[in-house]
Amino acid sequence: MTAIVEVSDLTKRYGSLAAVDDVSFVVREHAITGLLGRNGAGKTTLMQLITGQEFVTSGTIRLFGQPPLENAAVLSRTCFIKESQTYPDGFKGEHVLRVASWVFPHWDGALARDLVAEFRVPLDRRMKKMSRGQASAIGVVVGLASRAELTIFDEPYAGLDAVARRAFYDRLLADYAEHPRTIVLSTHLIDEVADLLEHVLVIDEGRLIIDAAAEDLRGSATTVSGRQADVEQFARGRDVLQTDVVGAFASVTVTGLTPSERAAAAAAGLEVGPVSLQQLVIGRTRGTARQEVAS
Amino acid sequence: MTVVALPAAVPAPPLPRRLGNAIRLHVANPWPTLITPWLVFAGVFGLNLAIWYIVATAAGGKQNLDADAFDYNGGVTWVLVFLLVMAVQAMSLTFRFALGLGMTRRDYYLGTVAYLGLLAVMYAAGIAVLAQVERLTDGWGLGGRFFAPWFLADLPAWQLWYLNTVVGLLLAMIGTVAAAVWVRWKATGLYAFFFLTALLLIGAAWLMGVTSSWAPLGRYLSTHEPATVVSWTLPVAVLCGALGYLLLRRATPRT
Repeated sequence: MTAIVEVSDLTKRYGSLAAVDDVSFVVREHAITGLLGRNGAGKTTLMQLITGQEFVTSGTIRLFGQPPLENAAVLSRTCFIKESQTYPDGFKGEHVLRVASWVFPHWDGALARDLVAEFRVPLDRRMKKMSRGQASAIGVVVGLASRAELTIFDEPYAGLDAVARRAFYDRLLADYAEHPRTIVLSTHLIDEVADLLEHVLVIDEGRLIIDAAAEDLRGSATTVSGRQADVEQFARGRDVLQTDVVGAFASVTVTGLTPSERAAAAAAGLEVGPVSLQQLVIGRTRGTARQEVAS
Repeated sequence: MTVVALPAAVPAPPLPRRLGNAIRLHVANPWPTLITPWLVFAGVFGLNLAIWYIVATAAGGKQNLDADAFDYNGGVTWVLVFLLVMAVQAMSLTFRFALGLGMTRRDYYLGTVAYLGLLAVMYAAGIAVLAQVERLTDGWGLGGRFFAPWFLADLPAWQLWYLNTVVGLLLAMIGTVAAAVWVRWKATGLYAFFFLTALLLIGAAWLMGVTSSWAPLGRYLSTHEPATVVSWTLPVAVLCGALGYLLLRRATPRT
């Protein structure tokens, strides 16, 4: 495995607040990694640290094996598209694309034009006058057409409608298949991206709470539902991530069921189903929220 | 953890290319630094021409006016001050965008300072050329002096160019310090910056007073070429340029 990003014991403090709290992980080459978490969990700060825009409080970051801060050799191989990106006054869409074409060594102008047409980006409009969705579309075009070896999308589609988001996922996958590269996708729209991801990082209140292959993660929890009494009996003593009760029926999301346990549950008349990535993340992040309240 | 292999190291794009990108970042939209200033400059000049014409007509012809009637004009200082404004504007607007595109602070700053230097050279050259036209046309046919007024009237063109370049550079570098302070600490930083600048100027004036240096300074200014005099500001410009980098080196792109 080749590590494009390697983060060790990384902490970033703003005053007493630890926006990123002792985080360690690796982003593998030629994979799509999801960086998931709630708003304010520390996703953007983490990515700004990785791209050398923020200064670390402690810990180390390696980007292509080198420290990223002020390092043109590795930053020029990286494209970081963030929702909060601001543009110079008076800049139109065409100016943004022009500068991007100079800065990114692997820029594909034909792909950019193609995407502009598909996302219907008004290139002659000032960035300030664009709607949120149009400005996001510019970011998406830059992120895809840059063909950077490491491309990081931070909530790239704020304001984009479902059709445009679908188009983004399709174009991302198609271009990724043709030109394999390392992609980090940060979002809170977990269900939408679940199928794209090969690896999942979940951050909550600055801490990394999940670091797993998407495949393993999907098998790591199961939803069991049926009559409330039966479900409760089954869930007793297990690691329950989430419980929902509707009338006399209940469903629980539990971790780590063996095949024989699944069979036992089914035999007891309970319905056993897969759990979505989103449910899993909600279960885990709610868990930490509960602990916070309790402590 | 799995065994981690290091990806192949790729050298950075060559420095000239990186600096070129930082410079081009400011030219991508040429209006704020290349077009608008000339338009405003043309407007200011046009107004001056109109006023000269009105005054000359009211007097019944320019032969009825004093020979130095139109010798004093500060229109050119507008462009020089605008270089300061451009420095502040360009940096505060493009810094976050540049970092968002993966530029390093160092490349961005060097490219930006180089661009501001080029602007000073270019605007000074434009003024010098127009000053020659002004002399050849006897002040646009009205005896007016706009591009080389007052004590600059008889200065050789290259000296006029040098003088405006150096002054423009100084103002642009003061602008970069102000801009770096803004980018790093926003309004709070600028209040402190202006307070400190005022303190520094007053302190210098006081020092001049207690050491009775005002009279010698006046003598020096009146006995030396303007080009020699302004050369003394070059170290200040260099110092401001370095200070701007020290400030920006630790700045983060915040909204």
